[in-house]
Amino acid sequence: MTYHKFIVYQGVVGMASSMIFPFYILLLNNVGRSYAQFGWAYGLFALTAALSYPLIGKLADRVGDKTLLVLYSWGMAVLLLLFPLAYEVWHVYILQVAMGLLGALQKNSEKTVLARSVQKETAGKEIGNYHTWTSIAAAAAVIGTGYLVDFLTIGSIFYLASIAFAWSGIFIMKQKEWEKAPV
Amino acid sequence: MRNYSWIAAILYLLLFTLSITFFQKQHTSISVEDHGHLLPVKMKTIKSSKSEDDLKEIILTANKENEKISNAGMQYSQGGQTLYPNGILLDMKQYNRILDLDTKNKMITVQSGVTWDDIQSYINPYGLALRVSQSQNIFTVGGSLSVNIHGRNITYTSLIETVESFRLLNANGEIINVSREENAELFSLVIGGYGLFGVILDVTLYLTDDELYQIRTATLTSDQYSDYFKEEVLDNEQVQMHLARLSVAPDSFLKEMYTTDYYLADDQTRLSDYSKLKRESFVAIPKFFLGISRLNEQGKNVLWETQTAYNKELDGVYISRNNVMRSESDFMIYEHNQKTEVLQEYFVPVDDFPSYVDDLRELLEKEEINLLNITVRYVKKDEEAMMAYAKEDMFALVLLINQKMTEKDLAHTEKVIQQMVDITLEYNGSYYLPYYHFPTREQLVRAYPRTEEFFAMKDKYDPEHRFLNLFYEEYHK
Repeated sequence: MTYHKFIVYQGVVGMASSMIFPFYILLLNNVGRSYAQFGWAYGLFALTAALSYPLIGKLADRVGDKTLLVLYSWGMAVLLLLFPLAYEVWHVYILQVAMGLLGALQKNSEKTVLARSVQKETAGKEIGNYHTWTSIAAAAAVIGTGYLVDFLTIGSIFYLASIAFAWSGIFIMKQKEWEKAPV
Repeated sequence: MRNYSWIAAILYLLLFTLSITFFQKQHTSISVEDHGHLLPVKMKTIKSSKSEDDLKEIILTANKENEKISNAGMQYSQGGQTLYPNGILLDMKQYNRILDLDTKNKMITVQSGVTWDDIQSYINPYGLALRVSQSQNIFTVGGSLSVNIHGRNITYTSLIETVESFRLLNANGEIINVSREENAELFSLVIGGYGLFGVILDVTLYLTDDELYQIRTATLTSDQYSDYFKEEVLDNEQVQMHLARLSVAPDSFLKEMYTTDYYLADDQTRLSDYSKLKRESFVAIPKFFLGISRLNEQGKNVLWETQTAYNKELDGVYISRNNVMRSESDFMIYEHNQKTEVLQEYFVPVDDFPSYVDDLRELLEKEEINLLNITVRYVKKDEEAMMAYAKEDMFALVLLINQKMTEKDLAHTEKVIQQMVDITLEYNGSYYLPYYHFPTREQLVRAYPRTEEFFAMKDKYDPEHRFLNLFYEEYHK
């Protein structure tokens, strides 16, 4: 896996998660009947992430970043297939717990890959470059989806994002282990 | 790990298909709002109950505290019929039990919060069907009664024809029976009475047999339509339901039409093959085409070509009566924070249709409005409801207009709509009242000659004006 391919991968998963994000909030809003439930839905997400970080951290060193990213991609792809089917508050709670876990996987792996692959001397430039491209992808996805939603249903946006995650899963499975970024 | 990616992909495809299958089967519920978004009204509180005694108590307390009540079902009316500032919104959706089905006499008694969909699911196994409902089945019975809806049926057209009786919780908090024999005056007032005379509790409706229909389609021009309808639909006893669509695409604007007739299939024994109730199928495709037609002229041409081609494909298809009466609606749900979609419905005598459409075309070619759809159905003269829109045998044209919610755009739409209503009135036509209050009071009185009597009856039956809504507020004086 080259550094460039990592940026492509992060760009795609970033796009897919930005696509669903605004509608994901709408969904929580629709399903939850009170602000307290809304708060719980988000709280569960953050809490699961907090509890899983120590474990994920250790795992990353033992099984490697790639395996965790494969887990993340496929986990999201499958999870997004469940979102359009959720209609009760407890469905959303369960999904939020899973999202918290997967979100933590992604956040941690993003950082470990960067830490392992960038040269210390040029870390600023490299990480800046990384953020530029992934942010452009995310911005394009958010803006594009705003238009798409006039034509598509919210359900189909979840499906599209799921397909993008599935593609990223296959993409990352096909990569070899990491190489250092060119200086 | 590369080798496993194939397995992962195949597993994923399987899950993907499963998810979409469940998604299609799942019942999507409709949110509780005024769907036009043009009348943001703050109500004091929303009340609802499953019990008759509670509902009675709500009225009695409102009487004591002099609160106003607006009755609400699904709230799809766009003229504020379910809204009143600082009033109590009486949400009847939970009052939704099916009370009795008399299969021998083909009658059903339901509480007014029941939806057509609920009734269909209940009676379909008995081989029974509704006589009249809207083309879609998402509405409550109480709401539908209050606006005296009509649908694709040509034998029975207005809902009032299919009502045996109902019980009404009146402004004094008393429950009274209303039928053609008992409190007959209220029968003609409450149905098509926009919730102004009390709370409809339970309703007894006449049903009919579920039947197997075959679809017949045709493409024609607007000047051929009246003759086609009289000869091929009205005079043909086999035809049970009918609808038509008038082109709004620039290439064939208000000229081309296509029709869809549902006639009795020769072999009724095959009904069981088709009687399973349809669920809403994948809405993305129709939603996509409707979306591009909102954008520009080209999009409208594409939509019209697709619709006519699709309609031709339907020719010869078999469908049960119950399934005809549960058309898809989810794809029409439109969410936009600056734009909305308003409906209009105009009624004109059958024979006047060609020249009426010519007049409309002349107006609409001058005036810019984003017209997305015109559906045409048939209504027979309604001699029962006081606010009857069908003053003789008429065609009903439903217009869907996409527009911005700014004052300027609303004023423009108002001007065009008032002109369209004027044209309609010149043909001794009328317009449907559940929509936004664009027409003037003078137009209301011309369209509904018994308007003054209707408002006088309101004072007679509800002198304290316990039941109020924005429609009444706008037009009663």
